[in-house]
Amino acid sequence: MVNQHMPLAMVSPGETVTVVDVRAGRGLQRRLADMGLVPGTTLKVINGHAPGPIIIDLRGSRLVLGHGMAQKIMVKV
Amino acid sequence: MAREITIALAGNPNSGKSTVFNNLTGARQHVGNWPGVTVEKKEGRYHYHGYRVKVVDLPGVYSLTAYSLDEVVARNFIVEGKPEVVVDIVDASNLERNLYLTVQLIELETNLVIALNMFDLAKSRGYQIDVSRLSELLGAPLVPMVATRKEGNEELLREIVNVFEGNTTKKKIKLFYGSELEEHLTELEALISRDEELSHQFPPRWLAIKLLEQDEEVLQKLGVSNE
Amino acid sequence: MSREDILQAKDKAIAHLRRVFGDDAETVIAGERYGFIGGLLKEALKKPAVEKLTISDRIDKVVVNRWLGIPIFLALMYSVFQFTFVLSVPLMDWIDAGFGWLAEQASGIGGWFGSFLANGVIGGVGTVLTFIPPIFLLFIALAILEDSGYLARAAFVMDRVMHKIGLHGRSFIPMLLGFGCNIPAIMATRTIENPKDRLTTILINPLMSCGARLPIYILLAAAFFTAYQGLVVFSMYAIGIILAIIMALVFRKWLLPGPSGHFVMELPPYRLPTITGVLVHMWERGREFLIRAGTIILAVVVVIWFLGSMPWGVEYGSTQSWLGQIGSFIAPIFVPCGFGQWQASVGLIFGFLAKEVVVGTFGTLFGVGEEALGTTIMAQLGWTPLIAYAFMAFCLIYVPCVATVAIIRRETNSWKLTGFAVGYTLALGWIVAVLIYQVGSLLGLG
Repeated sequence: MVNQHMPLAMVSPGETVTVVDVRAGRGLQRRLADMGLVPGTTLKVINGHAPGPIIIDLRGSRLVLGHGMAQKIMVKV
Repeated sequence: MAREITIALAGNPNSGKSTVFNNLTGARQHVGNWPGVTVEKKEGRYHYHGYRVKVVDLPGVYSLTAYSLDEVVARNFIVEGKPEVVVDIVDASNLERNLYLTVQLIELETNLVIALNMFDLAKSRGYQIDVSRLSELLGAPLVPMVATRKEGNEELLREIVNVFEGNTTKKKIKLFYGSELEEHLTELEALISRDEELSHQFPPRWLAIKLLEQDEEVLQKLGVSNE
Repeated sequence: MSREDILQAKDKAIAHLRRVFGDDAETVIAGERYGFIGGLLKEALKKPAVEKLTISDRIDKVVVNRWLGIPIFLALMYSVFQFTFVLSVPLMDWIDAGFGWLAEQASGIGGWFGSFLANGVIGGVGTVLTFIPPIFLLFIALAILEDSGYLARAAFVMDRVMHKIGLHGRSFIPMLLGFGCNIPAIMATRTIENPKDRLTTILINPLMSCGARLPIYILLAAAFFTAYQGLVVFSMYAIGIILAIIMALVFRKWLLPGPSGHFVMELPPYRLPTITGVLVHMWERGREFLIRAGTIILAVVVVIWFLGSMPWGVEYGSTQSWLGQIGSFIAPIFVPCGFGQWQASVGLIFGFLAKEVVVGTFGTLFGVGEEALGTTIMAQLGWTPLIAYAFMAFCLIYVPCVATVAIIRRETNSWKLTGFAVGYTLALGWIVAVLIYQVGSLLGLG
């Protein structure tokens, strides 16, 4: 049974989630990987304007992700 | 007789690299905290104990993949320009992400000195860093610094020379990528080592890793276009 | 060659790894690296159990807030504007008086040398230098915004707006920087990975009214719209922004369609800007302005003075001088815009070298300092406020200065695109100026 997977865009501020999958082209995957976002990573959503960009805490630094991108990152709680 | 050496400054954007550059070269430069405003390759010089050191400030990058122009510029300078020493400026309050670049610099088999900058910020957040242990694990000298207060500058100058002279006790490390990957890496490495030109230009293991990453620039150099 | 086997081995390896891991080798490698780092840090790093919310986070709760974000941004921009202008006025008067005194001394020397100094150098360069206060103050304000880390937040806040015009938050910062100077602004587009986004941002950047155009607005607004000068100057910036938005939409819809790039950006923690830091930044950019005043503008001013004094014996700055002849040749193009006088044409031609030169040209031609220049233009060229406004709009839009053109060429690597940038701004400027003048005249704003 698949654990609750949802796009990062739908996560509420204050929640901590784990990345399961990045459904995007290589360029984007790589860009995110460079910043530390790979499957298995934990991150916390700090702030978000849906629909709009969200701020996350990733490995100790703050990152802003566009809405389109947040929809392509699948996470589980 | 002054010895001439070239060193490169690498590091994430916002890691305080420009401040370190200013401290070393005394030049008044832009201390930008937004990547891209820092312009191209900045160069400067300093003298230290009989050495004439040329400092090249590389663009702030998160990684050495061929994804953006900045990264390609930084990487090419290290690979082709072959600076004698590379100083990696690491934001101590943000170690996890900053070390991602460090690891890649290690894989490029550069002569590395790691500046652990913004040490005060890390401390104020309650972080406790075992500097000597970390240095051992990374296989490179680690210099804690607070560049904005010029703390650690002397030590940095010293370590740069030490590394250049080969006076360092650190043993270089190698990352283990798991048996599956390692199998293929070893195979590729062997094939590459047989190619004289390639193995002379690039560290074979690094090139092997880049091939598995399908790095566009490397593939171009080998005469293939990617997808 | 042996390279073939290497490449084949690579392809086989990647295919195999994809089967084993269900993912690209690249992703696995990245994961392994972080795994290694994680292991390292478990040994060498101890973090406190609960990290308190940083001050930055607390500030961001307000600044980046869904409802407060944009109003806060606009309020900040407005205060920057006010700060710059209110503080400049007394400083500018003071500098202008100083140059006025110098000019008097110079005329006292008499003869053509005296005229050269008084009209040429002091009239031209001195007038431009009078604008040091607003330009430097603007750079200070930008430096504070940058150094404090607020600029990154601004990009975040404006991302939704940028999205509507087909760009994203990353394009916002180069646009904001363009208000200082277009050159570092265009260089800042390097962080935009999507080439179409980047090109669009570069092409619309010259519409962000740079510091060099400020003297033109201030000069004309003060003379022709005394009561509303602040509003008029502000309207220039607003027009620039509106046109930039329109052109962005045009470019993205018809000339460079395609999906917009991805927005990922790091938010550095807020920092209290240091006084030295801000001053260093201000000086770096402001220094460019002074260097241009000392070199390009001075050179142009000398050339203008020379052309205005030749042929020998002609009345200085008259229509019969070489300058007058050149200007008169071009001037007809600007008749529909309302400023079809040769002096204006000359100013605009030389303004290509550096926009400040437009003011410098008038200063040299009429041989008066900033204080009287506005009214002199009014009297000598017969301009009405409407014409002055059309002229300002033209200066805002027409061609980027030669240094900016050089940067555009370098960053786009294409003469065609650079030519396009020059061409479209020229055409757009002319059209807008004509519209302002013709429609305004019809409406009786005369």
